[in-house]
Amino acid sequence: MTKHLIGLGLLLAAGIAYPAIFPNNLTIAISVLLFAGWATSWDLLGGWNGQVSLGHASFVGLGAYFVAIGQSQFGLAPWWTMAMAAAFAAILGYFWGWLTFSLRGPYFSLSTIAVAEILRLVAINEDWLTGGATGVFIATLPEPFGIDLFSRTAQFYMALAFAAVVIATVIVISRARFGFQLRAVREDEDSAMAAGIDPTATKLKAFMLSAALTSIGGGIYGIVLAFIEPHVMFALLLSVQIALTAIIGGRGTIWGPAAGALVLVGAGEMFRTTFAEANMLIYGILILVVVLFVPRGIVGELARRHIRRLYAKRAQS
Amino acid sequence: MPNVLRADGITVKFGGLTAVNDVSLSLGSGEILGLIGPNGAGKTTLFNAVTGFAPMHSGRITFLDQDITGLPAFKRTRLGFGRTFQTERPFEELTVLENVLVAAFLTVGRRSEAERIARSVLEQVGLADRAHQPALDLNLARRRRLELAKALAVKPKVIFLDEIMAGLNPPALREMIAFVRSLTAQGLAVLMVEHIMEAIIELSDHVIVLASGEKIAEGTPHQVTSDERVIEAYLGTD
Repeated sequence: MTKHLIGLGLLLAAGIAYPAIFPNNLTIAISVLLFAGWATSWDLLGGWNGQVSLGHASFVGLGAYFVAIGQSQFGLAPWWTMAMAAAFAAILGYFWGWLTFSLRGPYFSLSTIAVAEILRLVAINEDWLTGGATGVFIATLPEPFGIDLFSRTAQFYMALAFAAVVIATVIVISRARFGFQLRAVREDEDSAMAAGIDPTATKLKAFMLSAALTSIGGGIYGIVLAFIEPHVMFALLLSVQIALTAIIGGRGTIWGPAAGALVLVGAGEMFRTTFAEANMLIYGILILVVVLFVPRGIVGELARRHIRRLYAKRAQS
Repeated sequence: MPNVLRADGITVKFGGLTAVNDVSLSLGSGEILGLIGPNGAGKTTLFNAVTGFAPMHSGRITFLDQDITGLPAFKRTRLGFGRTFQTERPFEELTVLENVLVAAFLTVGRRSEAERIARSVLEQVGLADRAHQPALDLNLARRRRLELAKALAVKPKVIFLDEIMAGLNPPALREMIAFVRSLTAQGLAVLMVEHIMEAIIELSDHVIVLASGEKIAEGTPHQVTSDERVIEAYLGTD
């Protein structure tokens, strides 16, 4: 665990220096960091616990809408609305999980698509609150300690803090009892019960934590965009991108989702500037490559080889 | 001998089929109860009903004077049940040590404590040198021992062994028999479903014979193996 926390510390230090070195590449870096945080949050449920969600855009959207509506209609500062969004996301996760976790197999995944769809329809139709299809605009933001939250640098640091907190959470959980419960339920629910684990309670906890963390990143995303539209926030494409980022990077690994974010967002951006719409092609090709050759994802495959090498070495000595 | 586990009038039905019909059993601490019977007799079904993995139609189960009928399987584990699965079910993506850690975390919250328990259990079953091997790579005999390690790491008061001897070669079988006996020395109660008569005769204090979901005989190993109905159930009549 210390090894991973030191690694995270080093990356954090590099991240803090980043805006000074690349002041013109902040938007893409924010995108990478938000996706790293979202995919890592997704992975708590999807990778560590094996419950694949295709509705995580719901929680991104909740976070963004809470921040935007809180600010524009009630004058609430983003840190309060982010905390509220996290609580609301956890409650939503609890009820959705309570309804659907008895469904085994692909049914849970399919049902999660509906969550985002319901929220999208609510956002479009309840325009007294959400501005309807037009969306909400964040015109003013508070300035804590004189920091302008509209500046890309401030937003970069928020995204950096978000990604770091989420990854640190996973590092701690991976070593703790909860991390073992998550993986046991993923591997075999009956065998987990034989170890005294309540599978449904475990899945609910994972879903609630995953949803809450994702919504905090969603709040930051709202600030970054400053203009929130329902068909962007609750889009199936966003849900799929979050899931794919984690899957391609390596499900159920500490660094996989973050690596996936770097590869997918980075490559996607590079190719988008050169080939316009070709970023969808990159997704397609990457998915194909991962499914065919590295089904455990990039980091998952590296970790597996490492464990085997380690074991082979111990067996020899 | 004080009763650890009592099951009265257990009946399990699958649709119109009665898989287990009105079977009772009781088990004291340090005692081994063997459950035998021809294929399809309902042994595993009874076993699953008692451990909470299959729903019962009627019956009552008490454990340490507490009524646990209807309690979900994971709660029975928390009270002191440990079980193995007939087809071994390791957490395949985890290493041997991590598999046992999952179970060890039931009684302790601290990682270092859980690891101490897990390592001592692995030592006990003879898998200590395999601790960091992926569970997926173990051979049959070692998978069996991993199942045992997982069942023991929850610190059970009664342990349910579902055909852990099946398919073992003679030396491995001898080892397993000695190992199961060593468990009772620690006061553990054992309920075992087994096909291997050698193991049943050598280990059991008490044997229940099932055929077609009914209890057809009960007694010491020698009583039941000389019982005519048992011989009939196994070999048929002419």
